[in-house]
Amino acid sequence: MHGCPRCCEAAMWTWRRLQVKVRAAGGLLTCRQRPTWSGGRLPSCQSLSTCTPLRNDFFKDLETQLAAMRKKASDALPGSSWSPLEINPDLPPERADIVIVGGGVIGWSIAYWLKQKERVRGGVKVIVVEKDLTYSQASTVLSAGGIRQQFSLPENIYLSLASADFMRNINEHLGVLNEDPVDLQFNQSGYLFLASEEVAHIMEENYSAQRSAGAKVSLLSPTQLKQKFPWINTDGVALASYGLENEGWFDPWTLLNAFRRKAISMGVIQCCGEVTDFKYTTKHTTSTDGDQMELRRITSVKVQMPNSLEYQPVECAIVVNAAGAFSAKLTEMLGIGSGPRDSIAGIPLPVEPRKRYVYVVHCPDGPGLDTPFMIDYSGVYFRREGLGGNYIAGTSPEEAEEPDTSNLEVDHQFFEEKIWPSLASRVPAFEKLKVTSAWAGFYDYNTFDQNGIIGMHPLINNMYFATGFSGHGLQHSPAVGRSVAELILDGNFTTLNLSGLSFQRILAQEPKLEKNIV
Amino acid sequence: MLKVLIPTLMLIPTTWATKPKWLWPTTLAHSLIIAVLSLSWLVNMSETGWSNLSPYLATDALSTPLLVLTCWLLPLMILASQRHTATEPVNRQRMYITLLTSLQVFLILAFGATEVIMFYVMFEATLIPNMIIITRWGNQTERLNAGVYFLFYTLAGSLPLLVALLLLQGSVGTLSILTLPYADPLQLVSCGDKLWWAGCLLAFLVKMPLYGVHLWLPKAHVEAPVAGSMILAAVLLKLGGYGMMRIVVVLDPLTKELSYPFIVFALWGVIMTGSICLRQTDLKSLIAYSSVSHMGLVVGGILTQTPWGFTGALILMIAHGLTSSALFCLANTNYERTHSRTMLLARGLQMALPLMTTWWFIASLANLALPPLPNLMGELMIITSLFNWSWWTLLLTGVGTLITASYSLYMFLMTQRGPIPAHVLALDPSHTREHLLMALHLLPLLLLVLKPELIWGWTS
Repeated sequence: MHGCPRCCEAAMWTWRRLQVKVRAAGGLLTCRQRPTWSGGRLPSCQSLSTCTPLRNDFFKDLETQLAAMRKKASDALPGSSWSPLEINPDLPPERADIVIVGGGVIGWSIAYWLKQKERVRGGVKVIVVEKDLTYSQASTVLSAGGIRQQFSLPENIYLSLASADFMRNINEHLGVLNEDPVDLQFNQSGYLFLASEEVAHIMEENYSAQRSAGAKVSLLSPTQLKQKFPWINTDGVALASYGLENEGWFDPWTLLNAFRRKAISMGVIQCCGEVTDFKYTTKHTTSTDGDQMELRRITSVKVQMPNSLEYQPVECAIVVNAAGAFSAKLTEMLGIGSGPRDSIAGIPLPVEPRKRYVYVVHCPDGPGLDTPFMIDYSGVYFRREGLGGNYIAGTSPEEAEEPDTSNLEVDHQFFEEKIWPSLASRVPAFEKLKVTSAWAGFYDYNTFDQNGIIGMHPLINNMYFATGFSGHGLQHSPAVGRSVAELILDGNFTTLNLSGLSFQRILAQEPKLEKNIV
Repeated sequence: MLKVLIPTLMLIPTTWATKPKWLWPTTLAHSLIIAVLSLSWLVNMSETGWSNLSPYLATDALSTPLLVLTCWLLPLMILASQRHTATEPVNRQRMYITLLTSLQVFLILAFGATEVIMFYVMFEATLIPNMIIITRWGNQTERLNAGVYFLFYTLAGSLPLLVALLLLQGSVGTLSILTLPYADPLQLVSCGDKLWWAGCLLAFLVKMPLYGVHLWLPKAHVEAPVAGSMILAAVLLKLGGYGMMRIVVVLDPLTKELSYPFIVFALWGVIMTGSICLRQTDLKSLIAYSSVSHMGLVVGGILTQTPWGFTGALILMIAHGLTSSALFCLANTNYERTHSRTMLLARGLQMALPLMTTWWFIASLANLALPPLPNLMGELMIITSLFNWSWWTLLLTGVGTLITASYSLYMFLMTQRGPIPAHVLALDPSHTREHLLMALHLLPLLLLVLKPELIWGWTS
């Protein structure tokens, strides 16, 4: 009777000791309890720690501990890290199989899918070259982040459907072991297009195309519209088209980083630098029509380091042009666009940057949480941003009034003159709002037909293009990445047939325009 | 002997004195003449024993095929290197050809040596031009690593060989290859003698390479330029085999027991490296591992110490030399066009370059030991002699042959068949130079089908 509580307490004491040892070995930031060894036993059998470990990831802590140990060992050893070969670790490798120019969401998506589709580990060596790792001017992160299937071109609808499916299951695709899961904040609130009397028939045609492609869209009459969204003023609205599923908006930065993290974990090398030159071989041949053609084959890419005269020529087999708004500069380096006017070499890549403004407004009495991404027939759009009564609004300026693209300065007059009146007339609650912030971003605007260019250029034998998406590149990025990877590794499109978006239409001057209502 | 050696030595002043425009045609013609002259060594092949005898150099049935192979390879290397060195300044091109020629000189002296120390010195001397070729003209940063592996593996293996040879000289009194087979058999009983036995063989096993000490080979082959890969695969590996065949006559009777683990290593290496080949993404790496696989069979054949084993080993060495060099040239034609060694990126080439597919086909079939090519003859003789040594080896060699066939076919189908990616469609057509190169590789192989006695070694 006397021995029992004592041995019980002794057992508790040893158990406590073991627990503290385990915690100390795990290196967790917990409050350690210090049992009093001298003389006594623990006064009570309760745990004295006041905080519990927030997470207990053995492997992550192990890695940090091992890294610290290695650093300590190398600091303790004599000698310096000087080596006779001046190796700059930021330089890209001397050769790679595929160089992706442009580290936006399209570039990283292509990198991820190339690694996903290589059949053995280390099958292809991919590097992604991005000139600005802060992404201060990249279209991806300055985007409004919407995704919709309400296009008229079947290729665009299929691309959006596939991308939405990818993003719904993003952790299956882009989840990395031992890292936090990806949270895209995909608000599936749908898109709402409003059509006036003159353009209602276009909306109906688009609707049938979308339904037959598998998009879940519904048409609403003005009364149904008013019933569903009472905050809309339905004057002038003849028909509305509302996306029921797979439409909405998400966080582009998260998607970019998810692609980047997964691709890097699969072995893609990221390089910060700018592509300033290509080394290429030219072959003069005659086509079947008798025209003289100069076929170029890129042998190496000159990557210039930021703020430095250092450069590294990267010898490569394939170059992917995913440079977005700045894609035309790359083709100029290869002499495309500077040939005689009626030859293929005289047709430049029709992609240029176009500045678009996005304004964040705060309206406490605005539409509620189920607000879709609304686009009026005047071109003005807005969507909800967050849960605090903030909204994002914008519109495309007229062709004649395109803003200057040398900088990303915002013109606040634009909001006052072009956006607010239409917005306030469509949604009366927006008569009282305050512009809290604004930014500007570039569209990689395809001046030919405002749709993406995917595929190879006829004159450059090993450059693949994935650019010119004119504002809907972000939402198509997963599917575009997969298609380009199929082109490179399988030789042909296998899941989606995007041959309609190839270079052929530009050479044949047959634009594939979206039949928009705006 | 001198009728080949002097022209080869004079090739060096020739490269430095020729006008730049005529550099490559001149050296090509010169080396082709040397190659044709070297064929005269094959004339006395029907007699066993030494021909072209001099105090320092001689040829016999074992070294003649290897000498002819060496001389034949120089024009092929010059043909293959023409394109990728075209962009360099002329003096660097001259340096390159000089290095290849000096390799040739060292190899002729090595294979023709009558004394083992001379063979050893030449064996080591070939390392230097090779190192220079790999580290200076290789393509990637990894070439430095490859050079280090190559140098130190070989040196570490051959230092014990030097000690062992000096000990042998001390006990036998001579190291002349002409008389060593007739020397009194050595009393090899102690543990030190066993170490001596291992020391004699280690350098050659590393050079062959034996699986286990083969790590330098994929690196060196992949990082070397095409001529470096060719000479490595075709001749330098065979230096190890030739050395083993010469030295093994004094190593009796220990070899009967001590060769056991090495034969097992070699056969296991055949299977392991064959399996690695099936998973390779890099074309040159695949061919390098297939070299290790074939050489594993050669090591097994030599260590059985039977006439069939030796003959099979010699035949396989010659045939493999021609085939492997041909495959490296083919891989280089791919590389020069697509600038990538990755197999995934250069597929379906039959559509774009159908004539090159013919050469790929013949080379792949030779690699998988299709009858009636000498590859099969060599493999069959080795497999038979190993079977005689132990029945169980048949499992390993059988599976090894199967895997060899599958990776050779895999290589052929991956590069030639299948859908052709868009960036491969507009490649340069095959040059006549490349066709000539492939023909000069595979024509001797096909001719050897008709008179294999030339490469049978001592049992002719």
